Amino acid sequence: MTVLRLLRRPASAGLFLSVLLLASLSAQQPKRIISLVPNVTEILFAIGAGPQVVAVSTYDVEPPEVRSLPTVGALVDPDTEKIISLRPDLVITYGSQTDLHAQLKAANLPYFDYRHGGLDHIFVTMRALGARTGHVDGAERAAHTLQAAIDAVKQRVAGKPRPKTLLVFGREPGSLRNIYASAGRGFLHDMLVAAGGNDVLSDIDRESAQVNTELILARAPEVIIELNSANRLNDADLKQVVAPWQALSTVPAVRNKRVLVVMGSGLTVPGPRVAEGLDKIARALHP
Amino acid sequence: MLDLLWADNVSFRYAAGAPLVVDGVTVRLASGALAGILGPNGSGKTSLLRLLSGTHTPTAGRVLLGQRPLDQVSRREAARQIAVVPQETELAFEYSAIEIVLMGRHPHLGVFAVEGPDDVRIAEDAMAATGTAHLASRSFHQLSGGEKQRVVIAAALAQGSGVLLLDEPTASLDLGYQLEIATLLTRLNHERQVTMAISTHDLNLAASICRELVMMRDGKVIAAGPTADVLTPDNVRRLYDVEADVHINEASGHVAVVPVRRLR
Amino acid sequence: MNIRRRIVIVVGMFALFTAAVMLWAPTVGSTAISLTRAFDRSIPWDANVDAQIFFVARLPRVLAGALVGATLAAAGVVLQALLRNPLATPFTLGVSAGASLGAMLAVTMRLEFGLLGVTSIPLASFGGSIVATALVYALAVSQRRGLSTNVLLLAGVTLNAFFSALILFVQYIADFAEALRAIRWMMGGLDVAGYTPIVAALPFVLLAFGTFAMMPRTLNLLSVGTDAAAARGVEVTTAQRLAFFSASLATGAAVSLGGPIGFIGIIVPHLVRLLVGSDHRVVLPASALFGASFLVLCDLAARIVMAPLEIPVGVVTALIGGPFFLWLLVKRS
Repeated sequence: MTVLRLLRRPASAGLFLSVLLLASLSAQQPKRIISLVPNVTEILFAIGAGPQVVAVSTYDVEPPEVRSLPTVGALVDPDTEKIISLRPDLVITYGSQTDLHAQLKAANLPYFDYRHGGLDHIFVTMRALGARTGHVDGAERAAHTLQAAIDAVKQRVAGKPRPKTLLVFGREPGSLRNIYASAGRGFLHDMLVAAGGNDVLSDIDRESAQVNTELILARAPEVIIELNSANRLNDADLKQVVAPWQALSTVPAVRNKRVLVVMGSGLTVPGPRVAEGLDKIARALHP
Repeated sequence: MLDLLWADNVSFRYAAGAPLVVDGVTVRLASGALAGILGPNGSGKTSLLRLLSGTHTPTAGRVLLGQRPLDQVSRREAARQIAVVPQETELAFEYSAIEIVLMGRHPHLGVFAVEGPDDVRIAEDAMAATGTAHLASRSFHQLSGGEKQRVVIAAALAQGSGVLLLDEPTASLDLGYQLEIATLLTRLNHERQVTMAISTHDLNLAASICRELVMMRDGKVIAAGPTADVLTPDNVRRLYDVEADVHINEASGHVAVVPVRRLR
Repeated sequence: MNIRRRIVIVVGMFALFTAAVMLWAPTVGSTAISLTRAFDRSIPWDANVDAQIFFVARLPRVLAGALVGATLAAAGVVLQALLRNPLATPFTLGVSAGASLGAMLAVTMRLEFGLLGVTSIPLASFGGSIVATALVYALAVSQRRGLSTNVLLLAGVTLNAFFSALILFVQYIADFAEALRAIRWMMGGLDVAGYTPIVAALPFVLLAFGTFAMMPRTLNLLSVGTDAAAARGVEVTTAQRLAFFSASLATGAAVSLGGPIGFIGIIVPHLVRLLVGSDHRVVLPASALFGASFLVLCDLAARIVMAPLEIPVGVVTALIGGPFFLWLLVKRS
C-alpha cells in the first residue's frame, strides 16, 4: 500500500526505479567467472570481461593473462569442489557436462552452456556472453572486428577458383592411417569455405570423417591442408611430416606439391583468433 | 627274472614344502607281472604310477627302466616302453574313438610324419582286442563309461609297449563292465605278455586278477608280495581300518574280501 | 583310411577358397575401377589412378587382412589347445592388452620415432606385446616347476585386467584428440597404404608359423591332458613353451599391424572344427587359411557397406562375432 502511494509521486518513483535498475544491472554483471572452455575464455577477454575471470581450465593458455590463474579441470574431469570453493557467480561449461550442471544447480551457481557450432556461432556466443556479463558494447566491438577480419579474407579470395580441398586434422604420424578430415559440415568446413576452398568431401555432410586411401585417390583433391598444432617446424621436419603422402602420387595435390601444413595451436579454435587461422588457410589455398 | 621297472626307495612331493605323497616306496615289476597297487584314496597310488611312468620325477630315490634311470630316458623312448591308462579322460575337443587310439602311435612317429597304413592297422587291432572296433568313427564324448575306458586301453595298447600302468581302471564302471575289463586285462597279460601294474582301491578286483600286491597307506608300503600271502584280514585291517572276511570264493575260484565292520 | 590324403584334400580345399577370395577382393571396392587400366603398364604410375587404387589402397589392405586373419586364427587354435579350452582366444593371455597399451602410449605421448620404415605406433605396440608375454610367462613359472596352464590362464586374465585399466587411465589423462585416435586404433584398421608394415611383420609371423608347423600332432595330445600327453611321449613343458611363445609372438605381430581385431581367434577355429573335426593337423592350416579369407571379407564389408565412410574392421568382426559367441555358449550348455 505504501509503495503504491510512493509511486504516485514522480520524483520518488523515478528514484525508486533507478535504484531497481542499478541493482538489477549489477546483479547481471558477474564478478567471478570460471571458464572451462578455452575458446570461450578467449572470447571473454576479447569482449572485455577478462578482469572478471578468476579461474580457467587446465588447457587454457591464451591470452597470456590466464596462465597465472588457478585451474579447475576441463571437459572430462572438472573439479567441482574447487569450482564451488572459488565462489563463482558464473561458470562457463560445455553443453555435454550434464553431471556438472546438476551439481552447479544444487549449489545454486549459475552457468553458461556452450556448444561448438559453425563459424557464425562464434558471433552468437560473443553476443550472448556480452549480454550475460554486462559487456554488450565490448561484444559488439569484438564481433565487428572479427567480422571485418573474416570479410577481408573472403574478399581477397573472392572470384578466385575454389580448389577441391581435403582438410586433414588428424593422422597417424609417419603413415596414411586413421586420417580424419572435415567432411562438409561444422566449424572447420566453414573455415575452409570462407578461405576460398571447396570441401572435396562435402557430400558426406559430417563434421569429421575417417577417410581411407581409396577415397582420397578417387576424390583426387587439388590441395591437401594438414592442420598441425606445432607452432613451428623447420623445413626438414616439414618434409618428413608430409612424406607419407607420396604414396598417393596420382592425387593432384601430391603431384603438384600442394600438400600444405598449417601450423599453430589454437588457430582453428572457434574464438577471436580464428581470423588468423583463416588467413593462413586462405594463403595456403591461394598463394 | 628281469626287473622291467623298478622304483627304488622313491619319495615324491608335488611342490616344495608340501607333504610327501610317496614316502620311501620300493616296487619291483618283473617282466610279465600282473601287480596290484592297493590302498585307500590319498594313499599315493596315482602319484606312484606317475613316478613309474616317468611323467613325474621322484624327489628322492630313482626309477629304473631295465638298467637305465628313467629320468635319463627321453619321453619318446619311455612312451615306447611304458603306456598309461589314466583314471579319467576328459577331452577339450571332440575326437573320434579311432583318433584317440591313434594318439598312442605318437612315440613311433617323427615330427612331420603322418600315421601310415601300419599304424592304422595296429590301432584297429588294438580296438579289436578291446572289443571297440565298431566304435571307431563314433565321437568319444558320446561313448558310455565302459566304452570310453576300453578305447583308452586300446590307445595304450597301440603304443606297443611292454608295460601297462592302469590307474583305477574300473572306478567309474558298473559291475558288468568291471568284469569285462578284468577279463580283458588278464587276457592281455597272458596272451600278449603285457607287464601290468594296476592301482585300485577295489580289493576284490585286485584279488581276482593280480598275482602280486603292493599295499600302500599314507604314501608308505605296508605290505607287498604274492596275493595269497598279502591279502589277509590283518592287512585289510591295517589298510582300511575295516574288519573283513577273506576267503577263497568257490564260484570264482579266487580270493574274495567281504567287509564286516568298520573299526574306528 | 588314408590320413595324409585326407589332410591334403581338406587343406587344399580351404587353400582354393582363400586364393579365390584374395584374387577377388582387390577388384572390388567403394570406387569403380577398370582392371585393364590398372594393369596397363604403358600409363605412367603417377597418372594411373586405377592402378594406385588397386596397388596402394586395396592390395596392401587385402594382404594385411590375410596376414592378420591367418595369424590370429592360427594363434587362437594353438592357445585353445594349450589351455584345453575352446573358448580361449589370442587375447586371453594379455598379449593384446600389452600391445594396445604400447600403442596408446605412443598415441597419447605423441611419440614419433621410426625403425627400418616402421612407425612408432606399430613399434610401441609390438614392444608392449613382448612385455606382456614376458610378464605372463614369468608369473606362470614362478609357482612350480614346469608350466602350469592354470597359473598361465590366471596370470593372463589378471594382466589383461591390469593393462586394460592402464589403457583406460591413459585415455583419461590424454588430450581429447589423442584419446579419440587411441580409441579408433583399438577398433582395428587394415588400410596400410603400403607394403612396409606387412613386410615388417612378416619375419615374426613366419617364425611363429614355422613353429606352428611342428606342433599339430602334439597339440592333439596336449588337448587330451598333460599327463596323458607325457605318457604318450610328448615333452610337455617344452611343447607348452613353444606353443605359448609362438602364439604370443604371432598375436603381437598381428595386433601391431592391424590393431586388436577381435573374434577371429575364436570364430574361425570353431567354424573349422565344426566342418573338419578336431585333428589339429587339419584344423591349424585350415583355420589359418579360413582366417585369412574371413578377415579379408570382413574388411571388404567394412570398406563397402557404408561407403564413402568406413566401418572399423574390428567392429565388423565384433558384430558378426558377438552373436556367434553367444550361440556357442548356449550350444555348449
